[in-house]
Amino acid sequence: MTPDGISLSGVGKTFSGRGKVVEALRDITLSCPKGSFTAIIGPSGCGKSTVMRVALGLETPDTGVVRIAGKTPMGAAKAGETGVAFQDAALLPWRNVRRNVEVPLEVLGRPIAQARDHIQHMIELVGLKGFENALPGELSGGMRQRVAIARALVTHPQFLFMDEPFGALDQILRRQMNLELQRIWTETGSTALLVTHGIDEAVFLADRVVVMHANPGRIVDVIEVGFDRPRAPGLFSDPAFHRVCDHIAEVLHGG
Amino acid sequence: MAADASGPWRGLRNAAILLLIWEIVGRLDLVAGGALPGISEILIRLWVDWGDYPRHIGATLYASSMGFLIGNALGIGAGVLFALSPTALRLFRGVNIAVFALPPIAIAPILVLTLSGMAPRIALAALGVYFVTMTATVIGLSQADSRATDVIRAYGGTRWDILRRVQFRGALPSILAGLRVAAPNAVLGAILAEFGGGGRWGLGAYLLGSLGRGEPDRLWGIGLVATLIAGLSYGLFALLAARTVGSTRAVTLNTAVPDAAPRAGHPLGRIALTFGTIALPFLVWWAFIEATGVPDLISKTPWGVVEYLFLDPTAESAQTRLLAALVETLPITFLGMAAGLGFAFLLAISSRLFPRAIEAFMPVALVTQTMPLVALTPLLVLILGRGPSLTLWVTISVTFFPAFVTLAQGLALVPRSAEDLPRAYGASRWTEMRMVTIPASLPYLFAATRLTVPRALLGVMIAEWLATGKGLGNLLNQSRGFLDYGMIWTVAAVSVLLSVLFYQAVVIVERRVLRRLGMATAE
Repeated sequence: MTPDGISLSGVGKTFSGRGKVVEALRDITLSCPKGSFTAIIGPSGCGKSTVMRVALGLETPDTGVVRIAGKTPMGAAKAGETGVAFQDAALLPWRNVRRNVEVPLEVLGRPIAQARDHIQHMIELVGLKGFENALPGELSGGMRQRVAIARALVTHPQFLFMDEPFGALDQILRRQMNLELQRIWTETGSTALLVTHGIDEAVFLADRVVVMHANPGRIVDVIEVGFDRPRAPGLFSDPAFHRVCDHIAEVLHGG
Repeated sequence: MAADASGPWRGLRNAAILLLIWEIVGRLDLVAGGALPGISEILIRLWVDWGDYPRHIGATLYASSMGFLIGNALGIGAGVLFALSPTALRLFRGVNIAVFALPPIAIAPILVLTLSGMAPRIALAALGVYFVTMTATVIGLSQADSRATDVIRAYGGTRWDILRRVQFRGALPSILAGLRVAAPNAVLGAILAEFGGGGRWGLGAYLLGSLGRGEPDRLWGIGLVATLIAGLSYGLFALLAARTVGSTRAVTLNTAVPDAAPRAGHPLGRIALTFGTIALPFLVWWAFIEATGVPDLISKTPWGVVEYLFLDPTAESAQTRLLAALVETLPITFLGMAAGLGFAFLLAISSRLFPRAIEAFMPVALVTQTMPLVALTPLLVLILGRGPSLTLWVTISVTFFPAFVTLAQGLALVPRSAEDLPRAYGASRWTEMRMVTIPASLPYLFAATRLTVPRALLGVMIAEWLATGKGLGNLLNQSRGFLDYGMIWTVAAVSVLLSVLFYQAVVIVERRVLRRLGMATAE
């Protein structure tokens, strides 16, 4: 157990809807040490997003316990220790970029005025300088996603949760964002949990890749990724990198 | 070039053509020996009578705006409560349906008996506003983007944070659309109460006073002014909505599965809830009478109505009169409604085939929707006389337009790709219609039916009251004359009950049919 990291033990969750009962998660036990980067990978519908939603306190598990630095998920959220980026940017359409980045601060009741410089810094960090007053409808998909990343980082989170944050981006932009994310994560020193279905993305970013299977959603393997940091773009074409990727693909498909 | 005329210009051109035809027909006295005067004649008369108008308009405006404010405050407040608590929503379902279904004309005499001064007018205007705004608020609040609420929740935001930061702003377009529809309703409610309540000032009172004088041009003038007020109030809120709403819609499509409706826990709890739902409207009725403190002789509690209808020495006579009235009223209500709906359905379906022709017709349909019914009826009397055909036409016209608007708007939502599919396999327009458009319009046909039930009964009763001297409407009017308070309350209760029952029947059939087809109900 890691008291200062993210820990899930024996988590189970079933959904019932439209006459069917789906066992979304069965006996999920996972611990992410402080300062580590963990990626969860699996086929569609294997419950990987549910793991993240349970860890965030957006869903209550039927069985098992979730702790973030020893606190309940909601406790950690209210203390402002978590940051989150969803698959969809989920921006409020009537707020401009800056006001969207401010949302977590407002909810946590932190003063906005003092954070003005920091907010600007976050917007610049994701490369959106000059777009502070643009509305979400005026931005491209990639730019919206970067707003969501800036929003996730604005609270100085010690725990960063990302649910397929680059799922909607094209391959080129995705690579770019992977590099950015690694840089930001190294700078902040936070504990990161990333849900993805891109094998190369998982291997490039994570210390450990958790592989899940569906029906019921369960963890089948945890693969350590030992490449030195910081990882350079050249790693994507390294044979050793591809060996790890191939191994994960085998676990994904065969088990 | 005329063919290039687009949007507003085409609308203006069509309006000009219509007005020109009206003027020619009116000037030549082609309709019922001068019952339809030319536009210019009406305007001249309006000029001559202008001295009378300001005080009447002032009274109507005062009552309708007060009612509009009160009804909206109640509607938005209740909407927030219902969006937060599904239990409250279910508990108040009976009250809400009753408010929606009650024919205002049946309630007007009751309000006049129990309240005084401007209060009945304000109350009736507020009643016309409440349901629309409440529904719009509930729908707007509950349609909040689940992804945006997730963001707030992920930072430990409370229910209030979500309401304040996501739901209220997201519901704004829906609420404004509700206000737009509610505004003419308030005007109609105020005029109806003026009609049934005596009093000197108000357009309704003016209309009533001018009825017997056989001056079509004055009646048309009053009707036009009433329509103008209702239409302007609609336009005001349409403009406000367009100005303030800005970007509200999410940029991307939310694919998250909506939460399954939580099942009510204990069966006993469910039974208690159902019982409460049915009992609450009667409780509200009883509480209203207690609160007004009007003597028992005049105001009847639910039990008072039962006594009047079944236990009193005069019960038998009351039953006979009520039954006779129902036999006259119900068949023509159903007939008119069926005709109105059928006509609307055909026209909406063909609007997909001849979009150009329908586009020209749509603005006319929207204008007539805002025309206060009471102002319309005397005009129809002039043209059609006082026979059953008048009742039928009034009913068709009140059911046709809302049904058509609902259907046409629903059909516009059918995705192009769904229509393209049969066409890609070489289907004819008619096959495409049969396979896609007609089935897709079913939910909207049901929604339109639900919408028009109370309107049909209202239409028939207004026609009966003002013109034909038959049925429930006439019974209500006569009972006012004879100070037969028991009968006034009975007719009001029975007409609301009938409306609610028929509405419920439509809902049940709708659920059955749509579930079998795997479709969702349309709001």
